[in-house]
Amino acid sequence: MLRMRKREKQKGNGGDHSSEIRNRPLSNNIEENLKYLREIFNNCSDVVFREFLLAQREQIKLAMIYIDGLTDKTRVSEEIMKALALEVPMATSNTEITKANALHYIKMRGLCINKIKETGNFSDVINAVLSGNTVLLVDGNNTAIINETQGWEKRSIEESKTEIIVRGPRESFVETLSTNTSMLRRKIKNPDLKIETMELGEKTNTQVALVYVAGIVNEGLVEEARKRLSRIKIDGILESGYIEEFISDNPYTVFPTIAHTDRPDRVAAYLLEGRVAIMVEGTPVVLTAPSIFMESIQTPEDYYERAVFMSAIRGLRILTMILAMTLPSLYVAIISFHHEMLPTPLLLSIASQREAVPLPVFVEVLFMEIAFEIIREAGIRLPRPVGQAVSIVAALIIGEAAVTAGMVAGTTIIVVPMTAIASFTVYYSGSIAFRTLRFPLVFLAASLGLFGLITGLIIIVVHMASLRSFGIPYLEPIAPIVPGDLKDSALRAPWWAIKRGPNLMGQNNPRRAVPGMKPKPPTVNKRE
Amino acid sequence: MLEGGKIDGRQAVYLSITYIMATALLGVAAITTSFARHDAWISSILATVLSIPVAWLVVKLSSLFPGKTFIEYQEEILGKYLGKITGLIYVVFFIHICSFMIREFGDFIMAAFFEDTPILVFHIIVVAMGAYTVRHGLEVLARVNQIFLPFIILSVVMIIFLTIPELDFKRLLPVLDTSPVNIIKGSITPLAWHSEILALAMIIPFLTKPDESGKIAYKSLAMVGFIFLIVTAGSIATFGELVAFMSYPFLNTARIINIAKFIDRLDPLIMVIWLAGGFVKITFFYYIAVLGSAQLFKLNSYRPLVLPIGIILVAMAVAVGENSIQIAHFLSHIFPVYGTFFQAAIPFLLLVIALFRKQGRTPK
Repeated sequence: MLRMRKREKQKGNGGDHSSEIRNRPLSNNIEENLKYLREIFNNCSDVVFREFLLAQREQIKLAMIYIDGLTDKTRVSEEIMKALALEVPMATSNTEITKANALHYIKMRGLCINKIKETGNFSDVINAVLSGNTVLLVDGNNTAIINETQGWEKRSIEESKTEIIVRGPRESFVETLSTNTSMLRRKIKNPDLKIETMELGEKTNTQVALVYVAGIVNEGLVEEARKRLSRIKIDGILESGYIEEFISDNPYTVFPTIAHTDRPDRVAAYLLEGRVAIMVEGTPVVLTAPSIFMESIQTPEDYYERAVFMSAIRGLRILTMILAMTLPSLYVAIISFHHEMLPTPLLLSIASQREAVPLPVFVEVLFMEIAFEIIREAGIRLPRPVGQAVSIVAALIIGEAAVTAGMVAGTTIIVVPMTAIASFTVYYSGSIAFRTLRFPLVFLAASLGLFGLITGLIIIVVHMASLRSFGIPYLEPIAPIVPGDLKDSALRAPWWAIKRGPNLMGQNNPRRAVPGMKPKPPTVNKRE
Repeated sequence: MLEGGKIDGRQAVYLSITYIMATALLGVAAITTSFARHDAWISSILATVLSIPVAWLVVKLSSLFPGKTFIEYQEEILGKYLGKITGLIYVVFFIHICSFMIREFGDFIMAAFFEDTPILVFHIIVVAMGAYTVRHGLEVLARVNQIFLPFIILSVVMIIFLTIPELDFKRLLPVLDTSPVNIIKGSITPLAWHSEILALAMIIPFLTKPDESGKIAYKSLAMVGFIFLIVTAGSIATFGELVAFMSYPFLNTARIINIAKFIDRLDPLIMVIWLAGGFVKITFFYYIAVLGSAQLFKLNSYRPLVLPIGIILVAMAVAVGENSIQIAHFLSHIFPVYGTFFQAAIPFLLLVIALFRKQGRTPK
């Protein structure tokens, strides 16, 4: 009880000082309205209040409120102000414009803005101004006109920097939500592509869009996504990562149970498979859910390039994924416990190299792995101009000097970079998991050899098997086996063979390729 | 219900194959050969055939009491008090055989790889992994097994393939040279293993389609029988009757593989098979012991029992025998009778009583 009262009190104190004004309706008197708005936007130097008169005999005062930089300046001055203050085509000969009918004529004949809205209360006015619209107040009317004049400096669409492909579209998402949704709409030209927007973040009022294709997606999944999104109460949302942490099923796992991408083609493909996407204003990174483990080894390109080759590449990625996680620990286990596994000549050559090295192999590998992580982290953060210098120094330290100085053996120099390179072949957020788990595995291998390594791997598999993403088992379609979905997991069947969408969503199981489209040589016109 | 998850028919088949085969893969061929000599492969077929009635028994009992596990319907058949007592005996039986598996696991790793490490280390590690999995429930165990089993079967097949240069099928001749009595004697040990299909009775209520339990049981027995046959026949064809004196014939089979001096010394691979399979088997029996005792005492959740039973398992695994010779003796001479008694004879009595008292769902 006490706590409740306390919370109420906090709410009272913590709320905006303008909260009482916000809930008020607009008044008929423009001066009064402007006074309130000036009070609300006190010390906001970017808010522009522009008062002027309607080009009429009767003095009708108008006021525009907008934010400098968020609006398209030419539209505001040409299509609102010039139209109303100078040209006024509504001044027809036989009608007198009065305060009473001014609003109607302005709306119908005056404004040259394509999308307008009307509102009667302050909170709508404030939100409209904050999101880049221009609000027009007319004296003698308690209704304000919201003109859609959004237009701000934005980054143009560029090639994706994080997910590079050879064949396929180059574009990637940008920071503007409306641009991003338009990119999806361009790919899926169908009224079934639904984009529900909501505002999250009590201070930032960030627009968040929940996107799905009705008719393919499971309604329960959309409902669940809506429920999880609407539960979020936080002061601000600056990136989709904020949302990701609120809506994942398992908050502590290292595996990403919500996928993210900045490629529109990837998102469109996921939507067609029955997933939902969550887009956030201000970031090019779009979340998709549910996300399964197999997504880590898949790229959009797999579906553009020839099926047989891409299936082989997926096999390669599975191999590199395993290498990225286990290679250092396998090396430690074999060198320290199971020499007999190596062929004798190889063993001899390794032994002769290791002779000069004073450190045990475990320390050596750990040292090199940490060194590599440092270089990788530096490589991401460092200012571009010094990049080359750092990479040369790093290559020298890792490659040459460490061996010459007798700190590490030559074989370790093969193992560590191999691991590092292997980890780059898989989807970035998937590789984060392997990067993290590599270290405990090295410890286990150093203490119990192969047995320790296997123990660690079993625990990891059990953990992964226990994960779910929006209720979908994380290791689907391998565990549990879903035969239909195996077509597009470790292998990628040709498009004409993928007749149904993945079962994984337990959804309507939409039809994809129409059966019987396997291409074959023509039976007529064959050359003898 | 104690277990919230459901597993499908395929997962159940996979699980039954692993929980029967995992331990049988290593030592049982030697025990069978010590009785039936080079006719051990006949014993192994015989064991599979003889195990089918046991599977039928299990399926029949479960179909009489749908939605109830083995521990639960004992109470219905034998009445509240007697049923509780037999239920308790079964829980102890599960814990007992599970501790043998843990001991075998520890012994094997000690013998093969770590001679100086205390065996307790391996017991604690495997039980800790098991406890972690049991807490996640049957569904997760079934999924984990779905990942491991293909690798286990693949490795068995691969090892048999790679030993082809060493195989000499003349070592299996003359057929039926051993007396029929010895062949039957040889089949009792694998039969005891096959009869572990009884454990399926603990999870039939958690199948998505419990009516399929018959198909599941027969399919898994056929698969287990087949793998056991190729392992036994393969070991005999490689080593002849020497197999009888080996502790782990299949490990030795893997050890002699040497192809082009490159594919060599595959025993770590065997260890991986054994670890993954043994882990699933131990975890499964651990799980049913925990689940059974929770049902016996009518608890709302089995999770509080995971740790106590785990500690009992670790301790029992040390206490069941002083050394691996004693364990081997138990497995070859006592377990065949002991296991068959609990896994076949008592269920048979239960079925007779149930039918006599006209209990359960009347067959259509």
